[in-house]
Amino acid sequence: MTALAFSLPDRRRLLGMAVPFIAVIGSMIVGLLLIAASGKDVPDAIEAFMDGAFGSAFAIGASINRAVALSLVGLGFILAFRANLTNVGGEGQIAVGGIAATALGLWPPIANLPLGLAVIVPLLGGTLAGAFWGGIAGFMKVRFGTNEVISTLLLGFVALLLVYWCVQSTALLRQPQTSSATLPESLPIADAVKLPGLTGNSESPLHIGLVICLLLAIATAIVLQRSTFGLRLRAIGLNELAVRRAGMPGGILLVVALAIAGAFGGLAGAIMLQGEQYYLKTGFSSGYGFDGLVVGLLSRGSTVGVLAGALFFGFLRSGGISMEIMAQVPAALTLVIQGLIVIAVAGSVILVEKLQGGR
Amino acid sequence: MTSSTGSLLSLENLGKRFGSLQALEGVSLDVRPGSVQCLLGENGAGKSTLCNLIFGVYEPTVGSMTFDGAAWAPESPAVALERGIAMVHQHFSLVPRMTVVENLMLGQVKGVLKRHEFGARIRDIAESFGFTLDPDSVVGELSVGERQRAEIVKCLMRDPKLLVLDEPTAVLPPGEIGALLDICRRVADSGRAVILVTHKLAEIAKVADRVAVLRTGRLVADESMQDADMGELVHAMVGRELKPLDVALADDGEAPAASRPLVTPPKLALVCDGLTVHDRHGAVRLDNFTLEIKPGEIVGLAGVEGNGQSELGMVLAGLLRPTEGHFFIGGNDLTHAGAAAVTAAGGGIVPEDRHAVACVTAMSVAENMFLNKLDRFTRFGLLQRRTLNAAAQMQMREFDVRAASPEVAFSGLSGGNQQKAVLARELTLDPLVALVAAQPTRGLDVSAVEAVYRQIRAAARRGVGVLLISSELDELIAVADRITVLYRGRLVGERPAEMSERGAIGALMSGQVA
Repeated sequence: MTALAFSLPDRRRLLGMAVPFIAVIGSMIVGLLLIAASGKDVPDAIEAFMDGAFGSAFAIGASINRAVALSLVGLGFILAFRANLTNVGGEGQIAVGGIAATALGLWPPIANLPLGLAVIVPLLGGTLAGAFWGGIAGFMKVRFGTNEVISTLLLGFVALLLVYWCVQSTALLRQPQTSSATLPESLPIADAVKLPGLTGNSESPLHIGLVICLLLAIATAIVLQRSTFGLRLRAIGLNELAVRRAGMPGGILLVVALAIAGAFGGLAGAIMLQGEQYYLKTGFSSGYGFDGLVVGLLSRGSTVGVLAGALFFGFLRSGGISMEIMAQVPAALTLVIQGLIVIAVAGSVILVEKLQGGR
Repeated sequence: MTSSTGSLLSLENLGKRFGSLQALEGVSLDVRPGSVQCLLGENGAGKSTLCNLIFGVYEPTVGSMTFDGAAWAPESPAVALERGIAMVHQHFSLVPRMTVVENLMLGQVKGVLKRHEFGARIRDIAESFGFTLDPDSVVGELSVGERQRAEIVKCLMRDPKLLVLDEPTAVLPPGEIGALLDICRRVADSGRAVILVTHKLAEIAKVADRVAVLRTGRLVADESMQDADMGELVHAMVGRELKPLDVALADDGEAPAASRPLVTPPKLALVCDGLTVHDRHGAVRLDNFTLEIKPGEIVGLAGVEGNGQSELGMVLAGLLRPTEGHFFIGGNDLTHAGAAAVTAAGGGIVPEDRHAVACVTAMSVAENMFLNKLDRFTRFGLLQRRTLNAAAQMQMREFDVRAASPEVAFSGLSGGNQQKAVLARELTLDPLVALVAAQPTRGLDVSAVEAVYRQIRAAARRGVGVLLISSELDELIAVADRITVLYRGRLVGERPAEMSERGAIGALMSGQVA
């Protein structure tokens, strides 16, 4: 088996790239057929999609910003997944990150900090909040044996309701109610707390979140491939009993792994808030946590895979929104197409393995 | 070579290559119906590979096979099973929570389940081969021997012409080996052929009609049992002069325990004080276990398996909290401290279950050998792989761990080399105060067994207190200074480690309190 695999590396790699690519194109064609079947004009829809995804500096910047949030959740996911932990709580971790960033950003002593600290402190606050949220799931796993899939998911719902509570109650983060029309939202954060733009072009929403994300991606790759910590995560993912037997603090590793996954989610929440939304409102995480989970799963543990997947989903989301607005393609249909793509990619990965595997 | 007329299975110049490793080369062998063909060889000699070729797990690189008068090239084990070859693997494939009959019905029945009918068939088959098996007992509650018999019945239900048993005795306690060999004999007497893979010579003498020896992938002997000479078989197997088994078990010429120069012990190496373990159902697994081991002393713990050894091993490894009692390593109370503290206090542990507890098989040899010392190879959080692999290489040489490189997967090593690697990891703890080795030679071949003993004795001479848990009495007599006996979770006695005490210890092991 191995002999064959080593003698044909090129064919293997080609196969590994071609099959998912064809699968994605295929599912997109099916998506277009669905749009046609729903009675919408297909060329219009394509045009709207392209406009929304790539059509302008704004469109591209917005798409990349979406990709940043997805990447961060995905990176956290693959880190924890190395320890065989499945973090499905990205959505909630984004939410608590957003709450923390808003709370800190709206607090005058922090908003007035010099040297960019007004940006950094809320970012760190969001990160820590996410880490705490993920860490709870880790603690529950180690202490009570609670499956992290369940605990992270349920903690996610708790976090979403926390956001709701925060924006409904003036004692928390809701803006002062001046009339019955005051929306249940927080006040917008001050300019000093907003993430600086990257391009200097006021048209483009692209912000330094991209730089942070790329740096963290490199750090993640190093941790996973080169660091002792990464090796320990792998070891505990493969055989927890042996790792504990060999005298490693297994429980702490698991808590830390989930806390890191949560930290990435929390940071994504803070970046979304300080980079684009600027105020907290119910449902502001809008599915990024779950899309990030998909990105992480499809990447099969590869950092580059996370970035590529996140970019793809980021553009897809922008294009989908634009299709909905400009070509009246229902949002549900975009989700269907997104789902088709996920199935196609996941399925093609299995197919490639079968084709390459043999005996 | 014998003529192939009348043979059920014949192998012709069979070879198998995995990448750069030539696992088998030029193997020709005839297996006759109604006979027990033993396949002998050290770990890594190619025995399992040969079985897997016959059973359709791998395809041979060169050569051909004929089975039952036709060319034999099964594309999968399912095909092999269909056409009359069944195999009992080293690792059982039974679902522990299901009953025997449920397990055996898996994959064999469709539609409506007829438990009683099927159960009766199981009973009949077992009886016709001279043993009993309760179809309604839950597999998880059966002894290893009973589970193995369930596996054998599972094979026999397919009415195979050839039954292959891969190291069936490696997992069995001594008392059950004889029964298994009887079953082999009866299966052969029913006109079927049996291939019995083993590396224990004594078993061959009892049951084999013919014996073939593999060494580094080549067939180096193939003769009928009447013509075979034990000494020559050993020689063929290891390829060099080696003391026969019982000699290998004896001391290696170093000073006997009593006259060993001891540094006056400041503290006892290992103290167990009233350790008691209740299982989930409240049954007492370990009962008030008290034992003191001085530095430099090797204490053997004898007992038939399932009398509390596993629980004791888990407690001392820090993986199981005892219900009552305490244990100390070098004077430190580690009862509730956990596995990491045991390691830090100098407790080296060679666990009973190598795959589940001792190693991470999917990781490299180097990573496994330094699993407890990774910090030593970490700089700024990054793992210094080159240094790690170099250190592993040195230790592999020192402990005679044979692998292509420190970077190969641990799972690719033979059982003996895996055990030597685990031992190397535990014996190089610094400080090392006590070593708890549970069944450290199970499933190992003669030369690996010898290496393990040598390392354990050397550790004791350095002042390490050793607790050697084993169900092989000869091993304990050869290695230990004194032997304590565990029966139903209790220490029932202590005897000097002498051949003359064999009977007395055996009586204690079987519960007849002396």
